[in-house]
Amino acid sequence: MKKLIIFILSLTIFFSITSILTFAKSDVYKVGMEAGYPPFNWTQKTKKNGAVLIEGSDQYANGYDVQIAKKVAKEMNKKLVVVKIKWDGLIPALTSGKIDAIVAGMSPTKERRDTIDFSNSYYTSQIVIVVNKNGKFANAKSIQDFKNAKITAQQGTFHYNLISQMNGVKKQPAMGDFSGMRVATQSNTIDGYIGERPEGLTAQVNDPKLKMITFSKTNGFKTKADEVMTSIGVLKGNQDLSIINDVLSKISDKKRVQLMDKMTSLQNHPEKADGFWQQVAMIIKANGTYFVAGAGVTLFISIIGTIIGTIIGLLIGVFKTAPKSSNKYLSIINAIFNAILNIYVEIFRGTPMIVQAMIIYYGSAQFLGISIDKLWAALFIVSINTGAYMTEIVRGGIFAVDKGQFEAAAALGMNHNQAMMKVILPQTIRNILPAAGNEFVINIKDTSVLNVISVSELFFAGNTIAQQNYQYFQTFTIISVIYFVLTFTVTRILRFVEKKLDTVKVTTGANQMQVKLEVEK
Amino acid sequence: MTNPILEIRNLKKNQGDVNILKDISFSVNKGEIVTIIGSSGSGKSTLLRSINLLERPTSGEIYFKGQNILDKKFNVNKYRTKLGMVFQSFNLFDNMNVLENVVVAQTTALKRSMEEARKIAKLNLEKVGLIQHIDKKPKQLSGGQKQRVAIARAVSMNPDVLLFDEPTSALDPEMVGDVLKTMNDLAKTGLTMIIVTHEMQFAKDISDRVLFMDKGLIAESGSSEDIFKRPKEKRTKEFLSNFLK
Repeated sequence: MKKLIIFILSLTIFFSITSILTFAKSDVYKVGMEAGYPPFNWTQKTKKNGAVLIEGSDQYANGYDVQIAKKVAKEMNKKLVVVKIKWDGLIPALTSGKIDAIVAGMSPTKERRDTIDFSNSYYTSQIVIVVNKNGKFANAKSIQDFKNAKITAQQGTFHYNLISQMNGVKKQPAMGDFSGMRVATQSNTIDGYIGERPEGLTAQVNDPKLKMITFSKTNGFKTKADEVMTSIGVLKGNQDLSIINDVLSKISDKKRVQLMDKMTSLQNHPEKADGFWQQVAMIIKANGTYFVAGAGVTLFISIIGTIIGTIIGLLIGVFKTAPKSSNKYLSIINAIFNAILNIYVEIFRGTPMIVQAMIIYYGSAQFLGISIDKLWAALFIVSINTGAYMTEIVRGGIFAVDKGQFEAAAALGMNHNQAMMKVILPQTIRNILPAAGNEFVINIKDTSVLNVISVSELFFAGNTIAQQNYQYFQTFTIISVIYFVLTFTVTRILRFVEKKLDTVKVTTGANQMQVKLEVEK
Repeated sequence: MTNPILEIRNLKKNQGDVNILKDISFSVNKGEIVTIIGSSGSGKSTLLRSINLLERPTSGEIYFKGQNILDKKFNVNKYRTKLGMVFQSFNLFDNMNVLENVVVAQTTALKRSMEEARKIAKLNLEKVGLIQHIDKKPKQLSGGQKQRVAIARAVSMNPDVLLFDEPTSALDPEMVGDVLKTMNDLAKTGLTMIIVTHEMQFAKDISDRVLFMDKGLIAESGSSEDIFKRPKEKRTKEFLSNFLK
């Protein structure tokens, strides 16, 4: 029983630590955007040209959206804070109260209006296709000139539905963000992607391999008015909407075009360098601290996550192998608790961590009303995920301890707790050490999925850097080298530790006899 | 009649459909050396393991100093501290060195102070001739050395009864002698011992009483002289003829 109480207690403490609540301050206006969809929004390193600090980082966001959001926040007498969120996470972040508004070049489609409210348009756009400049479709004039072309668009946008208007194209699976589609087009993985004029213009300016194709009214896509509009998204029934519309009405069409042109011209062009290695060297020079910070976060989450996960695994493993209580009520409580633990293990082993991250981070805010800090959420997710795996490993580790060890302890009159603490657990920990180390290495790699909840780990850092310099292959080569160095070093250290633990020399009985004879002489 | 320290009445043990112990009754007096012999599978080890409840008997009664140990309220852990057990496969704690092996149960189960436990441990390790090996891990010891540590570990609990479950069966022949000598020394101290063994010469020399088991029953029991020189039962004779010329 004591064990049970200790177990529940430690779980409660763990939960309460991880769910430290963060309350939004009312004098701050939190606006969500990708900060990777220029010229609407992008990430930069300084605050020049009126950029705004991104929450929880030392980087800044700028772009058309940021400038519009600034005007809105000013009208409300609040300080603007930009929250960097992946496209798919924007609406969940809004509905779960993590942000006050979405200003992210988002169109007020009918489906989205079912979930959130939109302001009047703050920019009206034109649909274009971005292709490889040296490809077959570089001279297309009409959307019907793309026979057999591999075309895609961003996931969750109406752009993707427009593909069906193009006869004879090979529709590709939708992609997560524009940076990915640009790389795919550069490398001829796809022939082109559908986007809006400002984004296409930017792509063309920053990457000489890309070309934006515009269409006349008769040759282009047929779109509904609300689809080419971009609006500010707020919670359903939000009172701020009238203020926002008021602010937007004061910005004339002419001012909008001027602002958009200014933002398009502002974007930081990558410093040109010749040759792959020079480019890599330049990226490292310019972003060294971001790589180090990203690697630091990755290591931190995986180390702490593995340690807490192993402790969870040990607690549950010990609980599961404890002898059944003879007390009727206690044994019923035990059985219920055991069933809950089984469900926990099965669910967390049976679903991907990326899905768990989405559910825990957004779900906890939307349905439980608690807003968990991103880093705490990351630690929590990695810990309970590792815990689910370690539970089974610990159970195996306990069973792998020779039965004679239990019997000898019992025969000496030691009770279950004493036998566990003094004899079984020390041997179990030795048994599970290789598996725990393995989990650690897996965690270093798997924390990359946490970029879906915008945790600034190594992969996220790499993505941010690549979105600024458009050199994806070069940047991610660096990222992969860092990952490899991390896992390789950790593996070596663990091997060394294991060897250290096994330094006791094993000698045969025959040798021992000789030694003994010498001693006795 | 003296009060027996251990008394076993109508002990039965089933494992699934197999009746390993059919109906065992015997008693052991204080200071007595009882050996249990018999072919493999006759139930010797199960009987010994039932006495300290490593196996739960199916039915029957076991009395220790007049107390029924199968009573639900009986404190099994406390009882086990009074019954030392030496296993065939030594079962030294692999994560501890020799001294820790002998100390750990004293400080946990008996709540002795570390200082006292170490003193007792060293005394007993001295007696079994292993005082120079106290810092070694079990892996570094030979089988015979391991078994002598196991004996020192059991003796350090100051038990009333010592149980030996084929203590020399897992040893190389040249190491058997050391262990048997240690057991002989213990017997001289007046400790009560129940020994399951295949060492017939040893059994013959050391025993006050011998139980011959066959198919889950005590087929014959008597003094060492009776069993080894004048066996009455046919099965006893057959069994012994395989061992003694």
